[in-house]
Amino acid sequence: MDGLLLVLWVARLLFLLLLYVFLYRVVRTLLRDLRAAAREPTATLGRLVVVASPGSEPPAGHVFALQAITTLGRDVNNSIVVDDPFASTEHAVLTSRDGTWYIEDLGSTNGSHVNGQAVNGVATIGFGDELQIGQVRFRLERPRV
Amino acid sequence: MSSLTGARRSLGGPIVRVAVALSLAFATLAIAVGYWGVVRAPELTRSPYDAAVIAASRSVPRGRILDRTGKVLARNKKDANGELYRVYAGPAISPVVGYASPRYGRAGLERAYDAELSGLAGDPLRDPFRKFGSDPYDPKDLTLSLSFDLQRAAARALGDQRGAVVMLDPRTGEILALVSNPSFDANAVTDPTTAQKAFKALLADPSEPLLPRATLGRYVPGSVFKIVTAIAGLGSGAVTPKTTYPEQPGAEKDGLVVDGYTIHDGHHPETGSRALGLVGATEVSCNIWYSLTGLATGGDALTEYARRMGFDAPLPFDLPTAVSQVTGGGGAAPGGFQDDVELANAAYGQGETFVTPLQMALVAATIADHGTLMKPHLVTAMTGDNGTRTLGPERMANVISAADAQAITVAMQQAVEGKLGGQFTTGAKVPGVPTAGKSGTAELGGTGEPHSWFIGFAPADAPTIAIAVLVEKGGRGAEAAAPIAGDLMTRYLKMDLP
Amino acid sequence: MTVGTTPVRSVGSAQRGRAGSFGPIRPHWRWVEMRLLLIAALALVVGSISLSGALTGGLTLYDAQTLLTYLAALAAGHVALVLAGRRADQILLPVMGLLGGISLLLMQRLPQDLVTQHWFDMSVGLAQVQLVWLVLGITITSILGIVVRSDSWLRRYKYTWAAAGVGLLLLTFVLGAEVNGQRLTLQVGPFSGQPSEFLKVILVVFLAGYLSENRSLLMEQDTRLGPLRLPPFPYLAPMVVMWAIALGIVVIQRDLGAALLFFGVFLAMVYVATGRVSLVVIGLVLFVLGSLLMANLFDHVRQRIDVWLDPFADPLGAGYQVVQGLHAFARGGLFGTGLGAGLPTIGGRIPIPEVHTDFPLAALGEELGIIGILAILGLYLVLVERGLRIGAAAADDFRALLAVGLALVVGIQAFIIAAGNLKVLPLTGVTLPFISYGGSSILANSIVVGLLLALSDKGVEPPPRPSSGGRWQRLRQRDSI
Repeated sequence: MDGLLLVLWVARLLFLLLLYVFLYRVVRTLLRDLRAAAREPTATLGRLVVVASPGSEPPAGHVFALQAITTLGRDVNNSIVVDDPFASTEHAVLTSRDGTWYIEDLGSTNGSHVNGQAVNGVATIGFGDELQIGQVRFRLERPRV
Repeated sequence: MSSLTGARRSLGGPIVRVAVALSLAFATLAIAVGYWGVVRAPELTRSPYDAAVIAASRSVPRGRILDRTGKVLARNKKDANGELYRVYAGPAISPVVGYASPRYGRAGLERAYDAELSGLAGDPLRDPFRKFGSDPYDPKDLTLSLSFDLQRAAARALGDQRGAVVMLDPRTGEILALVSNPSFDANAVTDPTTAQKAFKALLADPSEPLLPRATLGRYVPGSVFKIVTAIAGLGSGAVTPKTTYPEQPGAEKDGLVVDGYTIHDGHHPETGSRALGLVGATEVSCNIWYSLTGLATGGDALTEYARRMGFDAPLPFDLPTAVSQVTGGGGAAPGGFQDDVELANAAYGQGETFVTPLQMALVAATIADHGTLMKPHLVTAMTGDNGTRTLGPERMANVISAADAQAITVAMQQAVEGKLGGQFTTGAKVPGVPTAGKSGTAELGGTGEPHSWFIGFAPADAPTIAIAVLVEKGGRGAEAAAPIAGDLMTRYLKMDLP
Repeated sequence: MTVGTTPVRSVGSAQRGRAGSFGPIRPHWRWVEMRLLLIAALALVVGSISLSGALTGGLTLYDAQTLLTYLAALAAGHVALVLAGRRADQILLPVMGLLGGISLLLMQRLPQDLVTQHWFDMSVGLAQVQLVWLVLGITITSILGIVVRSDSWLRRYKYTWAAAGVGLLLLTFVLGAEVNGQRLTLQVGPFSGQPSEFLKVILVVFLAGYLSENRSLLMEQDTRLGPLRLPPFPYLAPMVVMWAIALGIVVIQRDLGAALLFFGVFLAMVYVATGRVSLVVIGLVLFVLGSLLMANLFDHVRQRIDVWLDPFADPLGAGYQVVQGLHAFARGGLFGTGLGAGLPTIGGRIPIPEVHTDFPLAALGEELGIIGILAILGLYLVLVERGLRIGAAAADDFRALLAVGLALVVGIQAFIIAAGNLKVLPLTGVTLPFISYGGSSILANSIVVGLLLALSDKGVEPPPRPSSGGRWQRLRQRDSI
């Protein structure tokens, strides 16, 4: 076999190999994705239950699983979209640090309220407390184990 | 929980199940690819419908076919487009060599040895990288045991008459001539300018020139079958060469009654009241003696000895063969005969017996080779890039003892050289050489001429050639077949072939 | 206070993946997609070199212009998705891109005169036309992935879509041109296309809407028919209608493949929506009965089945195409003959008829071998899996069913034609998605992938709340919001 034939041979096998490299990486991503999805429920740090919601988003009774940082507001890019005319586009942020939950108002027009009390900048919020954004009322609850 | 979440959650299960089902479906496809790419691949890649095979046949020079002296019987030539096509030495070899045409496929040896001739060497699975190499094809040249001169002589001897000639060396089983008439010109089929017209004409021809009668034609044997009866009779011990039947001389006049059916002897001069033995009965071709011998031997033994020589199955041969039979079978009597009447008729070659000329040549060869039958073959060597592979003689069966074969030889010699016998086999004797043989006249019923048969071998004491000749509707054995046999055996012995 | 003011995009946010912001543009890097696209591009380049080596004897890119145009289109699509800040699935585009690239290599390798189109006084051959369709497809996929922010236009007008679909079908029944014994093509002026390709998307949209709306009804209510528990008869009606449409397609259009595809997707979506195996069983029984009826009544159906069962019985006549396809797989063996080195021509023609539309898999089987075909089957499986995953993670039933349906429409179609090539099923006229030549096929499948991208984007407008009110109200409502 002369040189050209050898190179050609290599090229053919290399092409097939690269197809499988592609597949391998895809499958690896898939599995990682699936594993992450399966793991999610146990990694929640808390749950936010929608107590009252006059509009359709978020639906009343819906339960959100909370991660370490959760944004709330009317903009679609928020983690929790509050489609209420009295909510601002970027209304508030719920953060969990060292086991404690904090609510920070992001300078919203109508303000955020915990148990009826207005939030000035950052405030703590505990399990069982009610949070109001616009006309929507949430309740913070423990993660289900 | 809202009904929204609850309902949505139960979608997950069915989705997973659908995913699994689809994966299984795709797994089936994977298995299918493996099946076609590995399991069926060797068969498909050699099939004449395969595009690579067809393309190769047009660009890779096909192996040549040579006769025993090295004369080229089939070779390649380039046409106007630069594509190759086959050229043959003459119409006489067509029944053996056949043709290889891109449009009309292959026949004869061109078909039987297609893989070797087109050079599809190697197994795609065992050699997956072969196709990466630059020369994947290794066409082989075939050397045959055939003698082109003898083949042509035999074709000329048949002339316009329909029939077949088979000549072989009984010591090795090598076929020296295999002629069928009418034949055809294979060159007309493979030459691109004449192919279509020629092939259409051949298919339309009512005389069926594409049918190789020597191997695929089945005929009523007539008296030549008596040799088989003799073999079975002596081999089974039912008769000896000296066996005579007291009722036989009387039956010459009145006929032999078997189960209400009367068997006549019509073709021999009065032997008087002499009771015949094996030699006498063979010399005059006595139906009565042979019927009685057949009955004495029994259906089982008759078919058994016939089978040893290749009856009731396709012959092991380079070309496809039709099956010769002693009886149609299905009967309640031993051996599959319907009754004694059929057995008695079969014993002298007129029952439900059908034979191919090749089969009868093998019967002659059995006697000629002292009771042993060698396997008939045409291809003696295959030559490729890696050298030559020879295919030597192979024993097919031990049919009878040498002593019994000798007794039959004596009888057959008498049939050719005896005063009475010579009248049935005029022209069969090779001048100056002891010749043995048996003629046959196969009645077909009705008003047509019977088939003319002859089988024999020479020299009778140390045979080097065995022959079978059939002339369809040629009349009595002595009229057509016997002289042809004598001529050809004489010619062969003079040729002194290697 | 006004209700329903459009949300205004705010500036800045601390979320992983954002690359800062440039005015209204907030790009979001898609690393996984980029890496996969790079591997795909490398594979295609190597493939092109291999092709050129076999066809020309030189080690360059075979027709570099075509390949580079294609890769540029893929890159542009990727960049567009990045700039638009979409958080859509990152595997769909690379897989589609690799399949399209393989198609391009194959089309380059086949004789260009299989297809000749005349555009602007230019005569373009097979590979060029395919390139145009592929680039158009990538464009459509990217546009759909970026622009579709809400599904209300699909959800709200499902009966309109259904009507349009049926109208298209009827139009093809009446006006369709007969090609190869099948009435698949609709010709409007200089353009000809296969409406059945777009029909399958419309069907999925309609079914997703219908099934998601009536899910609980189909699941919970029963009518007893002897030992069987069936959903209420009014809700069985669409099923029977579907069956009738499928039969109609077989009879009038002689398109067995489309009928098989529609019915298969329909059964699968019904199963996913209701989880009831009994419905699937009934569907299969209807299918078998229908097939037997068709086989007995119509010669062309029976002939297809005969050829499927033993194509070698008539290797030069009816079975010719299938036999040549199988021979191609046999010649390919384990590793294939190499791109460009297989497919021996007889008299200048490739022995497999319609190799660019019906039998691309066989051609790839010969040149890439079993190993290559397994990889390609794997790519289709991955595509479908992503779609099913998007469905499983979807925010509501409609989106879930839509994603599942879209994924299956590609997957089942690929299965049907691959099975036809391999004699696992009778040969039908459906195309191999993204690999077969055909503008309608590529565009329709690109729409599918585009919609899947849109559905997988976490930033898309959230689904509306299901309407409250009793079952009776739902029965009365035609279109829900």
